Amino acid sequence: MKELFPKEHVMGFVGSLVLTLLALTVIMFKGMSNGVAITILLVTAAAQAIVQLVLFMHIGETEDKKALYVTIIYSVVVGLITVFGTLLAMVWGYM
Amino acid sequence: MSKVNKSVPLEYSTEENDLKIFGFWVFLGAEIILFATLFSVYFSLVDRTGSGPIGKELFEMPPVLVETFALLTSSFLIGLGVHAMRIGRTKAMMVFYILTLLLGAVFLGVEVNEFLTYIHDGATIQTSAFLSILMTLLGTHGLHVTFGLLWGSSILMQVKKRGLNAKTANKAFIFSLYWHFLDVVWIFIFSFVYLKGVL
Repeated sequence: MKELFPKEHVMGFVGSLVLTLLALTVIMFKGMSNGVAITILLVTAAAQAIVQLVLFMHIGETEDKKALYVTIIYSVVVGLITVFGTLLAMVWGYM
Repeated sequence: MSKVNKSVPLEYSTEENDLKIFGFWVFLGAEIILFATLFSVYFSLVDRTGSGPIGKELFEMPPVLVETFALLTSSFLIGLGVHAMRIGRTKAMMVFYILTLLLGAVFLGVEVNEFLTYIHDGATIQTSAFLSILMTLLGTHGLHVTFGLLWGSSILMQVKKRGLNAKTANKAFIFSLYWHFLDVVWIFIFSFVYLKGVL
């Protein structure tokens, strides 16, 4: 039975639960400023994504891991430019 | 079929398998962009609520938490499924995959109920720009989960019928990547739609 629950995976799961609870603190403490809350959400969400990619999806386990990192990092960069570019043009530009 | 390499897990054991897994990662790259564009539109329209409700009035946290823990746990279970597959425990692997899909169904049930509650309260996709993009973003993720349930079930049937071989192991592994990815997307929806919405 024990061999079915590798330590790495269990730690990853505990990590993702802790990160979820951390993210929840932003709505539990009423006095928190928006800036602090958004920062906590950005950090916990990014950490969750890394836990999934590294511990569960094993992105670094094969010889072509460099190509995988390049593919995913490139997509994330394009995604971030899309999101923050849109925010700049459509939201922050008019504040 | 190309030569079988015994030094790597079954799902990587042929060149074709290797390329299929690599190709799937490229597909996930495209999925990241898909959801990034949907999030961009969401952030642009989140305050355009017109005469409809704002997020704070609409969102209810208990069902959202059920959805979040269902998907997080299912993502953990499918990871255990892949591990069981690698140590050759077909039965355990199938149990983990079945539990994964059941939790996926729980997620979907709660989400459908959430949509029905919104519509019942008069918040439909036509009520405001905010609700249009909210339902498009949630719906796109929900459709991915729905497709995942069908895809995962058919892979399970193949594993049951043919056992674990280079082909079925490859399919089961690729499905696990897809499922983990959906969990990552949900984490961002949970953080930047729901939690940010009720701040």
